[in-house]
Amino acid sequence: MPRTATGTAAKRSGMSLNTRNTLVGMTFILPNFIGFFCFVLIPVAFSFVLSFMEWDGFTEMKFVGIENFLDIFDDRVFRAALVQTVTFSIFTVAFSMVLALALAILLNNKLKGVNFFRAAIFFPYVASIVAVAAVFKAMFMKDGGPINEFLGLFLPDSMLPGWLASTDWALAACIIVQVWKNMGYFMIIYLAALQDIPYSLYEAASIDGATKWQQFKSITLPMLTPSHFYVLMMLVINSFKTFDLIFTLTEGGPGTSTTMLSQYIYNESFISWNYGGASAAAMVLFLIVAAVTLLQFRVERKFNDFM
Amino acid sequence: MKKATSLLLALAMTGTLLAGCGSTASSSAAADSTASGATSEEAAATGEQVTIKLANWDTSTQPAVTQLVEAFEAANPDIKVEIIDVPSADYTTKLSVMLNGGSDVDAFYIKDADTMVGLAQKGQLADLTSYIEADGIDLADFNGLAENFNVDGKQYAMPARTDYYIMYYNKDVFDAAGVAYPSNDWTWADFEEIAGQLTSGEGANKTYGAYLHTWQACVECWGVQDGQHTIMDYQTGYDFFKPYYEMALRMQDAGSIQDYGTLKTGNIHYSGPFSQGTVGMLPMGTYYMSTLMQSIANGESSVNWGIATLPHPEGVEAGWTVGSTTPIAINAASDKQDAAWKLVSFITGEEGAQIYAANAQIPGRSNDEILSTIGAVEGMPEGAAEALAVKNIALDRPVADKVSEVNQMLGEEHGLIMLGELSVDEGLAEMAERAAEIVEE
Repeated sequence: MPRTATGTAAKRSGMSLNTRNTLVGMTFILPNFIGFFCFVLIPVAFSFVLSFMEWDGFTEMKFVGIENFLDIFDDRVFRAALVQTVTFSIFTVAFSMVLALALAILLNNKLKGVNFFRAAIFFPYVASIVAVAAVFKAMFMKDGGPINEFLGLFLPDSMLPGWLASTDWALAACIIVQVWKNMGYFMIIYLAALQDIPYSLYEAASIDGATKWQQFKSITLPMLTPSHFYVLMMLVINSFKTFDLIFTLTEGGPGTSTTMLSQYIYNESFISWNYGGASAAAMVLFLIVAAVTLLQFRVERKFNDFM
Repeated sequence: MKKATSLLLALAMTGTLLAGCGSTASSSAAADSTASGATSEEAAATGEQVTIKLANWDTSTQPAVTQLVEAFEAANPDIKVEIIDVPSADYTTKLSVMLNGGSDVDAFYIKDADTMVGLAQKGQLADLTSYIEADGIDLADFNGLAENFNVDGKQYAMPARTDYYIMYYNKDVFDAAGVAYPSNDWTWADFEEIAGQLTSGEGANKTYGAYLHTWQACVECWGVQDGQHTIMDYQTGYDFFKPYYEMALRMQDAGSIQDYGTLKTGNIHYSGPFSQGTVGMLPMGTYYMSTLMQSIANGESSVNWGIATLPHPEGVEAGWTVGSTTPIAINAASDKQDAAWKLVSFITGEEGAQIYAANAQIPGRSNDEILSTIGAVEGMPEGAAEALAVKNIALDRPVADKVSEVNQMLGEEHGLIMLGELSVDEGLAEMAERAAEIVEE
C-alpha cells in the first residue's frame, strides 16, 4: 500500500509526484500481485461462491443457499474431522513450542559439536515427507516395530499401543511425527532470538541474585515474545492445514480416526465430486484459521504496546 | 490459509470448466435435436477423408490402443483417427471439459465406468441403440457387461475392455506342500482350506497360504460375485459381506494370510509377496498378468506361477467372477457420429478383440477363441485360457450414482473390521448406516 507519508515529505508540492510514486510502487508489486490475484484471490472468491452452490463439476451449478453448510455439519465424517483437526492442532502446537524452546535453550550453550546437534535437529524439517512417513510407518509397526520393541522392555505385550493400526493411537502417532518433523525449524527461530537477548541483562540479574529459573522466567521468556507470536501463528496455520503427512501416514484411517479437515475437503472434491460441500468445508477451515490469526494479532499488539 | 490455497488451485482448474459450461447449454441442445444420425452429412457418404478424435489416457502404456487405431485406419482409408492422449490422473476432468466444449472429441473411453450415468444424464452420450440394431450386433457376446450401460432401454456405451478377479498361485509352494493345484471349479471354502495346508514356516521364512490385499474389494467382492447384490445394497445391512469377513478374519487369526495391520502399515504392494514367492495364492485382477510377466522377463521375479478361475460361493456356478469394465462411447455433440461409430464398433468387434487379446488384455467381447489368443501370449502359464473363461462378470462397483462415496466409506469401515476395532456385525451395521446417509443425503 502506498504510504501517505511520501506526500507529506514532498510537502504536497504537487499531486503528480505523489501519483507517480504510487504508480512506481504499484509497478513493483504488480508481478507478485498478478500471481496472487490469478492463483489465490480468484480461486478463493470462486470457492466462496461455490460453497453456496451444488456442483459436481459436470452438470450445471445450482444455488442452494446454506444447504452445503447444513449438510457438512450433518456429516459424521466432517464432525469427526473437525474435532480431530482441533485436537491435532492443540497438541502439535503445544508440544512443538515447548520442545523447540527447550532445544533452543539447550543448544544455545557453547558445548562441543553444537552445530552438529543443531543440524541434526533441523534435518527432519528438510526431509521429504514421503520418506519420513515410510520410515515412521515401519517404526510404528505394532509387532516388531522398533518403538514397540523398546516399549516392550517396560510394558507387557497387552499394553503396547497399536499406533497406526489402532483408532485410539493413530492420532497420537501423527502428532508425534508432526512435532518431530517441525520442531527443528522453530528451534532455529528461537535460537536466533535467544542470541539477540543482551547478555548484560543476565549479568545484571545474577548480580542481583536471581536464580537460573528466575532469569528464564523474567528475562528469556518475555524477551522472546515476538518470536512466541511468530512461532505460535505459523504452528497454528501449519497444523490446521496439515494434509501431506497424514495422507502419507494413514490416509485418514483407520476408519476416519485421523481424517483432518484438509483431507475431508480433498475427498469431497476429488472422490465425491461435491465441490459445494468441499468449498463449504474449506470456508469453515478458513474461518477458523482466520479467527485464530486475528485473535493472535490482537493479543500481540496489546503485548507490544505494553512492552 | 495455505490450506485454502491448495483447494483453490483445484478450483482455479475447475474455473476453466465454468467457461466451458456457458456454451454447453446451446451446443448440447442443438445436438439433441439432431443427434439421431441426420448430422453426419460430411461423413463417409461423400467419400471424403474424415478425421475423428478419440480420447484415451496414458496411450504409451497401452500399445493396444495405437494398434487398434492403425488397424482401423487400414480398414477404413476414408477415416483418420487422431488420439487425444491425456495423463490418467487428469482424464476424467479433462474429458468433461472437452465434452462441455462441444465437439472437441468424437469418441472416448470412459475411465471410471460409474461416471457414465452422469454423462448420460447430461445428454453427452450418443444413443447407440439404432447403430447396434442396424449392424446386427449381439450384446450377449459381451458376457453381461453391455447391460451395465443401458439406461432406460438406450445403449450409451460399449464395453471395450474388462478386467476381473482370478486366482494366481505359486506352483512351487503347492509342490512343496504336496497339494494339488487348484481346479477352475472350486469354492471359497476350498480356498480357505488349501491356504491352511500351504502355510508353513515361522518368522522371516514363513510362507503364507494366501494373500488378501488391503483393499476392501479383496473381501467384499466375493460377496457380490453371485450377481445378487452390489455394494450399493445397504438396505440388506450388507449381510452378504458377512461370510467373507468372517473368512478373512479366521484366516488372519490362523496365520494363513498376513494380517491387515502389518500390510497396511508396511505399505505392502500386492505384487510384492507373490512375486517374491512368499505366498501360495493371490486373488487379483487380470491386469496383474502383464505386470507379472514383465517382472519375470526383467528377472525381478522368478515365481513359477499359474492361474485358476476365481473360487465361487457355495451354490454359484463356476466361472462367475467380479470385475470392472472400460467402456467406449460417442459424444452426442459430435457431427461425425457415423464415422465415430465405425471406430467404436471396430474396437469392440471381433478384430478389435483379437488386438486386445494379442496384448494380453481382455476385451469386453470375449469367447474361447479370444481367450486362446491370450493364453498363447508369450509368458502366459499353461491352462491360462481355461482359467480365464468366465460365465458372468459382476461389477465390483456398479454403474450408479454415489458409488465412489459409498466405496470410500466401505474402505474406511473395512479397515476397522480387519483391525478388529469393530466386530463384523458392528462394522456391517455402521456401513449400512453410513451408506444410507450418503445415498439419502
